[in-house]
Amino acid sequence: MVAIVEVAGLVKRFGELAAVDDVSFMIRQGEVYGLLGPNGAGKTTTISMISCLIDPTAGSITVDGHDAAREPGALKQSLGVVPQEVALYPTLTAAENLRFWGSMYGLRGSALDRAVSEALDLAGLADRAKERIEKYSGGMKRRINIAAGILHRPKVLLMDEPTVGIDPQSRNHILETVKGLNAAGMTVLYTSHYMEEVEYLCDRIAIMDHGRIIAEGTLNELRDVVGGMDVVAVKVAGVSPGTLDRVRTIEGVERVEGTDDVLEVLTRSSGSIMGRLVSTLESEGAHVTSVSVTEPDLESVFLHLTGKSLRD
Amino acid sequence: MKRLWSIAVKDIRIMVRDRAALLVMLAMPLGLIFILGSALGNVGEGDSLDARVAIVNLDQGGLGEQFVEGLTSAEEIDAVFNVIIRNDADEVRAEVERGDLSAALIVPADLSEKVRQEEPVALEVLQDPGSEVSAGIWAGVVRAGVANASAQMIAAHTIAEAFSGGAHGAPASQPVAEGAPLAGQRMPELEFDAVTVREVEVELEKQISMISYYAAAMSGMFLLFGGMFGAFSFVRERREQTLARMMSTPASTATIVGGKALGVLLIGVLQFVVLFAGTHFLFQVDWGTNVVGTLLVGLAETVAAAGLAMSLAALGRTERAIGGIAPAFIMLFAALGGSMIPADQLPGWLLPAQVLSPVYWTVDAFLELMRGASLATVAPNIGAVLAIGLVLLGFGVWRVRYE
Repeated sequence: MVAIVEVAGLVKRFGELAAVDDVSFMIRQGEVYGLLGPNGAGKTTTISMISCLIDPTAGSITVDGHDAAREPGALKQSLGVVPQEVALYPTLTAAENLRFWGSMYGLRGSALDRAVSEALDLAGLADRAKERIEKYSGGMKRRINIAAGILHRPKVLLMDEPTVGIDPQSRNHILETVKGLNAAGMTVLYTSHYMEEVEYLCDRIAIMDHGRIIAEGTLNELRDVVGGMDVVAVKVAGVSPGTLDRVRTIEGVERVEGTDDVLEVLTRSSGSIMGRLVSTLESEGAHVTSVSVTEPDLESVFLHLTGKSLRD
Repeated sequence: MKRLWSIAVKDIRIMVRDRAALLVMLAMPLGLIFILGSALGNVGEGDSLDARVAIVNLDQGGLGEQFVEGLTSAEEIDAVFNVIIRNDADEVRAEVERGDLSAALIVPADLSEKVRQEEPVALEVLQDPGSEVSAGIWAGVVRAGVANASAQMIAAHTIAEAFSGGAHGAPASQPVAEGAPLAGQRMPELEFDAVTVREVEVELEKQISMISYYAAAMSGMFLLFGGMFGAFSFVRERREQTLARMMSTPASTATIVGGKALGVLLIGVLQFVVLFAGTHFLFQVDWGTNVVGTLLVGLAETVAAAGLAMSLAALGRTERAIGGIAPAFIMLFAALGGSMIPADQLPGWLLPAQVLSPVYWTVDAFLELMRGASLATVAPNIGAVLAIGLVLLGFGVWRVRYE
């Protein structure tokens, strides 16, 4: 498949801080490519550079054959951008918002009318087109936010955390929308810190942390990074930092990460450590309520690679 | 160009749905014009309390001086008029035309000569039609003075003749003015009787009522508030990421900035049209007959407002910051420009700073047009406002942060 997005040696420094540090990847035409990482990993900065909002300190970006430094206008015409924030005008109606954003991509007359109508249908909000955005729920705003990015049928759609802070119903609608757009041939670059979304949507995934890509591949390829390991999830009360240190000393434990009430333990020998794990926790005064063993997922990959949870 | 227009139209649509903005931009100026105009009464209507009159004695002989002395020495006159002795007749005429003087008396250069030659001669009394009562009294005073002088001269002449037994037909060239009608002097037969008073009602500059003044002054000030809301709009777009989204479209930065500025400009034009029509129909404000000139001045002020919007957006990173900076700037411009008190009543040391205020040039141009001035007269004002606007716009575009 032909590469439609090529990013090479991308660097963005803010003073001493390298927000993006030598990032390179390629997205093939028609695929959904995921950038997964915790907040502050550099996903939004990367997207901002691809959409020509900020200039890179170093590196190159090409979209649909257009170089970001030399042909930003043509590159932008090839892109649709769905920003992390709901970037709409609250006192304008949904239709007015869409008409405006369509006009910014050069749509006029009947082409604009048709694009607005289709986008409203896609968002499932055609019957509320004349309502002001300020009266919409968070999920509905997110759907119009996406609709505004696809009016001009871009070749590549950049979606930056499009499901942050919305209800499950709207999230499902958005995920299905992305699936549908991709099925219609649109290439999607999707960033998120929700591993379930990335697992569900993306053909290939890059995991980012501290401005660098630390792993890249299909879901199965990434799972192989923690090949043979299981994740033991322990629901527990009364965990202290000292308790975690004790658990880490148990033979066979690769990584441990914990919140107030859940411990995630990465291990190659879940069967043999289970008893010692529970007894260690009980001896530290913690109260174990349940224990489960799961197959590794992107969360466990991230845990394995960085020693911390995606949610940190 | 179409993208630029789309941005401007979108901003207008957002603005007309913003009740707070409409309140500040339309309701407040109309309310203030009405309150200030009503409270402070009218300028140029009715009599001035300060009945200032001037006398210019151009007479080369002594008769004029004698006559003026007679007029100014009377206590009654001093009680009613503030009489100023001046030398320049043209300057005095101009002051009466402006309404700075209620009336004036100009004694012609050939008064003594004409009296000696027994030829008719007229004293000129200039009257400000806006000061009808005091100017009328002054004309009466001058007429009475002429009659009195004439009577005195006849009496003196009679006495002189009686003492000298002199014949009629004394030489007309006998100087009169050098001697008061003293006994023993030969006086002309045709004395001050030949002196008439010619009353001239000057064509006064059109006077502007207080409500008209404040219509100009408040419009000049409140058009700049469009700049504040323009800056709010820019900063809000930056905060809500719509600016970033716009910049991720193929629209260039120049198009986006131009569209935002055009929005402020068009909103300002709409605002001015409403203020112009509102003050005219609600308060009978007479903006003058040069509607095109008035609209061009208003348009120039909206260019300044657009420039101010970009400068404010550059200086303030949040709406709260701009909400603090903008009124300070606008009030300073307004105070210097005469929106609060007439600009010529400001302390002298402040006057040089007026040229930096777009409000000053705008209000001055509005007032000139109300008085009937031509577009050519206010063209320098329009140029000055545009220049200030472009400087502000340039600074804003240079310094503003888009991210």
